[in-house]
Amino acid sequence: MSLLSVKGLTRHYGPLKAVDDISFSLEEGTILGFIGPNGAGKSTTMRILATLDVPTAGQVLLDGKSVVDSPDQVRPLLGYMPDRYGTYDDMTVVEFLDFFARAYRLKGPERKKRVDSVMEFAGLTPLADKLTVALSKGMKQRVALGRTLLHDPRLLILDEPADGLDPRARIELRELLKALSAQGKAVLISSHILTELSEICDTCAIIEQGRLLATGPVAEILRGTAGAAPHHDLQLKLFGAGPALDEAAKKTERLLLEQPLVKNVSVEGSVIRLTIELQAGTAPTPGWGEEASVRLLKVLIAADAPVCSFQARELDLEDAFMTVTKGKVQ
Amino acid sequence: MSLAAAWSERLNPIVVKEVRQGLRTRVFWIFFGLMLLACLCISLVAWATASEMGFDGGRTFFIAFYVCLAVVQFFIIPYTAYRSMAREREDETWVLLTLTGLGPRRILRGKLSSFIVQGLLYGSAAGPFLLFCYYLNGIDLPTIALCVATGAAWQLFLTSVCVCTATLAEARITRALLHFVLLGGLLWGLVSGIASVAGFVEGARNLFGDDTFWAVALGTLWALVTYAVLLFEAAAARLSLPTEHYARGPRIAFVAQVLGALALFLWGWERSGRDVEVLVAAEIFICLHIAFIGMFVASDVDGMSRRHWAGSQRLNLLKPGALRGFIMTFMVLFIVCGALTALWLGRHGTDDKQLRAMLAAPAFVVLYLAAPAALARLFDHHPSQTPVLVRVFTLGLVMLGSGVPPLVAVLLGMEPDQPFLNALNPVVGMVNLAKDEVGWEAVMLLYGVAGGFTILALSMMYARDQKPKELAPA
Repeated sequence: MSLLSVKGLTRHYGPLKAVDDISFSLEEGTILGFIGPNGAGKSTTMRILATLDVPTAGQVLLDGKSVVDSPDQVRPLLGYMPDRYGTYDDMTVVEFLDFFARAYRLKGPERKKRVDSVMEFAGLTPLADKLTVALSKGMKQRVALGRTLLHDPRLLILDEPADGLDPRARIELRELLKALSAQGKAVLISSHILTELSEICDTCAIIEQGRLLATGPVAEILRGTAGAAPHHDLQLKLFGAGPALDEAAKKTERLLLEQPLVKNVSVEGSVIRLTIELQAGTAPTPGWGEEASVRLLKVLIAADAPVCSFQARELDLEDAFMTVTKGKVQ
Repeated sequence: MSLAAAWSERLNPIVVKEVRQGLRTRVFWIFFGLMLLACLCISLVAWATASEMGFDGGRTFFIAFYVCLAVVQFFIIPYTAYRSMAREREDETWVLLTLTGLGPRRILRGKLSSFIVQGLLYGSAAGPFLLFCYYLNGIDLPTIALCVATGAAWQLFLTSVCVCTATLAEARITRALLHFVLLGGLLWGLVSGIASVAGFVEGARNLFGDDTFWAVALGTLWALVTYAVLLFEAAAARLSLPTEHYARGPRIAFVAQVLGALALFLWGWERSGRDVEVLVAAEIFICLHIAFIGMFVASDVDGMSRRHWAGSQRLNLLKPGALRGFIMTFMVLFIVCGALTALWLGRHGTDDKQLRAMLAAPAFVVLYLAAPAALARLFDHHPSQTPVLVRVFTLGLVMLGSGVPPLVAVLLGMEPDQPFLNALNPVVGMVNLAKDEVGWEAVMLLYGVAGGFTILALSMMYARDQKPKELAPA
């Protein structure tokens, strides 16, 4: 049985469907990336899972217990970190964690032990006596993460935890999350930084306008978004700058679109992305993609296109996100 | 584990946090220092002038010391409580506290307790100065004790109001507006608190022997404490999820307050030699109170969540939902008014005007709670907006019902208090009944209209209370 099971979750605010019939599940020891544009319904879904809101319809079970019917039994099982740090400026790190440990009913030596171990895990021990107001964003985020771990929850719900962090803090946060996953905790994480998610998530769920558009392991979603027909993704770079480059890019784009099998040509400055796709029903022969690429490169060179780089491209989560979502917000 | 450590383990963590944070703030130490300095200066003046002021010096200096304490107790502490609670909501630390399993009531209790502790700290500093006035003559210990007790109750009340207010606003503009309203309210609270104590201290000697004074003092203390509890419960309910037992606390507090008020009135009635006019006054007062509080209790959202629905008695009046709140309000109203009317009849009251007023008072409450409840539900709106709509309709109808009939009467060339036009007027209608301007037919008309609206409101609420709010199976 999954640790978290969401079925037909719906949340309406009057006529607005913030969350519309979404279903997914999450196992222990896995990290699920929750992706969607602003206003897609990610935070609403997370708040419902965290027992902070109630759905209009649907069922959410955490370890077999309903978050709607038994919030008191569910709360000890989850740790929720909202998109704001939620620290008290006038408390030191150790006071802050000790207060929440008290609130979680940890007593005496057990509380001290737990606070110490959380501080050690999150790398906060040297900062124990510092006021939280004096901490950097990255450190505040660690304090917030430490707070969610105090009662040793089985599910962590993290709403945009990497937002506003510098690259080092992001990498450190990523390592912490990997370590928590290795400890068997299930992690549900939302983020706008898709490269971060693709590196740590086992599965992901893409949501837009309250509807779940795709869910499953990252590789599966990428396969799904790539289309049914056999294809080969390419990226080429043009040499030049200013109006000359723009002119060359336009000319090259026109040329590419005239070629058979070439699809999805997109130009971004000096970079052109495209797909070579066999017609549906055509059986691919071994190495067809490479052969087609060589033919295309020859055409470009013959047309005197200023190509300085030409390479195959792996699809990533950003491609999947852009393909699956349509950029609409509510 | 030492006794202190064991005691600390048992304390509400919010108290520990708030006291710790409170004692670290500059506001606390600045005002603590200023209060002590002011008290010290006044003491020096008292020491220097005591012989000149004679036997009445104690009273003047007591008021001066009390002003120093009152600024902190009636303004600074309640305002700090408001800011503390508002910050929890703005910074979203509130949700983190909720997730720990502490629950809204325990969190609010912790907040209130911590500010009471802060009040005690200030009080302990000002206490010796207040006692010092006793040795200056002109004021006795019971007066000092009563002033301190009333001050504590007033602080509790104002702090509850502030904490409750902090839970009200969601939008930034509403918060800003409430902030200014609250500051104004606290200034009024400060001035009226000081003025009451000053007035009492000046007239204490004559007042102690007066039964009416004790009735008013006891009633005021009772009202302050019970309204503080009611506000506390309302705030806790507001911070609860629809799936939690949010209605239970406010409804129990409401019933306890009304029954307590009834007991107090009966005590006053007994002390007055069983004067029937006390019963009439009590009924009108309680009806006004029930009309005001009932406006909130009876205007809950319709229905209840799946969690409450499952395996529950539908008419358990402590469960959420407008239907149950409405029935409870009416039951409390009729039990209290029925008891008072029975006592009035038992004392062989013979004045028809009094009896008509006693019977009409609850009918007006019924009318002005049932009519808005029914009319608001006739308009198409989102279910979550029902409570606000009902309250707006209640206030609107009361204003229209009181203002329009006299205006129409004047426009038609009649007297403003024309009995027929004002039969449903909650102000003029009641006055007409008490003045013998109208007969029993007015009471019958009132009961007919009120009964009609009650049936309509109940049927509409019942229709909206047929299924749990979450649609998915449990």
